[in-house]
Amino acid sequence: MSPQNGPVLRLAGVHKHYQLGAHRIDALRGVDLDVQAGELLALTGPSGSGKSTLLNLCGLIDTPDAGDIELNGQPVNALDETARTLLRRDALGFVFQNFNLIPVMTVAENVDYPLFLADVPPAERRARVAAQLAAVGLAEHAHHRPDALSGGQRQRVAIARALIKRPSLVIADEPTASLDSHTAEQVLALMRERGRAEGAAFVIATHDNRLTARCDRVVNLLDGRIQCAPC
Amino acid sequence: MRALLTWLKFAWHNTLRNRRRSLVTVSIVALGAAGMLLAGGFALYTYESLAEASARDSGHLVLGTPAQFDRDEDVPLQHGLSGVQQLRATLLADPAVRHVLPRVAFTGLISNGDKSTVMLAAGVDPDGEFTVKGPFLTVTAGKTLAADAAQPQVMLGADLARNLKARPGDSLTLLASTTEGAMNAVDVVVAGLFTTGVPEVDKRMVYTSIATAQQLLVTDKVSTLGVFLDRMEATEPARQRLAAQLPQLAVQTWEEQAAFYRAVRNLYNRIFGALGLIIAVIVVSVVANAMAMAIIERTREIGALRALGTLPSQLLCTLGLEGALLGGAGALLGAALALAISALLHVFPMDMPPPPGRSVGYPLLVTVDASMYAVVMSLMLLLTLTASLLVARKTVRLPVVDALAHT
Ligand SMILES: Nc1ncnc2c1ncn2[C@@H]1O[C@H](COP(=O)(O)OP(=O)(O)OP(=O)(O)O)[C@@H](O)[C@H]1O
Ligand SMILES: [Mg+2]
Repeated sequence: MSPQNGPVLRLAGVHKHYQLGAHRIDALRGVDLDVQAGELLALTGPSGSGKSTLLNLCGLIDTPDAGDIELNGQPVNALDETARTLLRRDALGFVFQNFNLIPVMTVAENVDYPLFLADVPPAERRARVAAQLAAVGLAEHAHHRPDALSGGQRQRVAIARALIKRPSLVIADEPTASLDSHTAEQVLALMRERGRAEGAAFVIATHDNRLTARCDRVVNLLDGRIQCAPC
Repeated sequence: MRALLTWLKFAWHNTLRNRRRSLVTVSIVALGAAGMLLAGGFALYTYESLAEASARDSGHLVLGTPAQFDRDEDVPLQHGLSGVQQLRATLLADPAVRHVLPRVAFTGLISNGDKSTVMLAAGVDPDGEFTVKGPFLTVTAGKTLAADAAQPQVMLGADLARNLKARPGDSLTLLASTTEGAMNAVDVVVAGLFTTGVPEVDKRMVYTSIATAQQLLVTDKVSTLGVFLDRMEATEPARQRLAAQLPQLAVQTWEEQAAFYRAVRNLYNRIFGALGLIIAVIVVSVVANAMAMAIIERTREIGALRALGTLPSQLLCTLGLEGALLGGAGALLGAALALAISALLHVFPMDMPPPPGRSVGYPLLVTVDASMYAVVMSLMLLLTLTASLLVARKTVRLPVVDALAHT
């Protein structure tokens, strides 16, 4: 959203645990993290290290047990569900591992959806959707349903949908895990290019070392803690 | 408004996702709506025809002294009306009044010389009664009463005639106590036999002329005056007018006189009310079930929509619309079906078996009433909307992470 001088996202001392019956799982044990505007941040770590848990908190779809989270300088912990929803609508984008496109909407309608939610005037919506689809190379698929597209194409639609309302931060949990390695590289390149163009920061959780090498910064999680100092 | 259209379009596309399930849901709503409309239409038709028959029998309004309606008589016509000619002229001056038929109701014995039996008798105006009332009874032999008959005449219920072995042209004697309490007798000739379709009536009923009845009872009074109006709807306004005009008299409507009509209406209201309730419960559970399946299958999608910034209320709106679309389609289809069946019953008539206490059946017809259609269709829409909202409520409020993790 509005360009800030400080970090887009700031996490300080964030804790999160899950309770499975009598069993307590401490998924995050004191995470401090700043995400700078426009940066492409890779979040790595073994399975179960807490990557998804952290991304859910960054994406305001879950709440921490302790610690502070600020988005664009605004503390979000105290916000109620409606305020969080509106903040997600206005400032955040999502790219999921399994795309999560709406199957009954066309490619253009999927990309348009966040603008519709944000009440953008129809003429402006049409122009922005066309531009966004052209930018991800799917202009000729505008009127297809997602199930007519390949995995790589679907993820490109998802990237267009995430960026269309010019969010300050895009959350991407394993965005390439369902893709072959060649397509995965193309999708990552697209996120990098489009993120730059739209001025959005990306936080990407991934296992793929070849992809992390292309990010601006890599943060490694282990047992719910950040491993090395940011490089 | 534009947003609502977008949500409606989304809902529409979602109903087409599982066409078979939507089709089944729509069909059941349609059958439910058609069932309600046909049952309701049949009840309405029954009420209308019974109301018409009752009003034709008694008159739309019945005038008498107040005591006539709420007290028993010690002697015949104790609470009768006198000054009938003048009263009649007053009534006929009212613009809605078409005819005024006097009636003398009395009981007595009827005898063929060998055998006597109890009769329920009515002295009527021979000119008016059988023309004004139309076919309220079926003449099975002979003729109706003649106004200019040389001798006093009677018409007998068919079963009573059989009991007395009487045929048209035969002579009988009527016996009754007069208004003074003495016994009196009049010799009469059988003009004709009739059946009303009600065995109890056919076994006892005797019609004679007002003049004969008054001669037998030694009086110039009548029991009541039946007032026939130009239209059914004129009944209540006319009752108020006449009651104000004739404060010394009691004015009852046909409905107060028609115990059978009220009993049937009560019974049918209960039966069809229960039927409607059952249909409503079935419709709600079918739609709730179909929507619950549709929503559970789409939990992850709902999670994604929530993550993208969709409010629970917006999701409720589109899911409610989805249910209402199914309900609306079902209601339209059901209304079309009910209309088609109603029309078919007019073209190819079918008979209902006789109701309790009657010996003749009646045609199975259903009334098509616009306001009933509007009510039933809105009800279907409301029921399906409510059912969808109820089942959607939980899922749209699920934590987004949980919804997204749903498989
Ligand atoms: N909803 C949940 N209920 C209970 N435990 C959970 C839940 N979600 C995550 N966990 C646990 O929390 C820990 C961190 O999980 P998380 O999904 O964040 O790891 P991850 O790094 O994303 O792993 P992966 O690479 O397999 O996706 C794990 O031990 C996991 O089992
Ligand atoms: Mg994960």
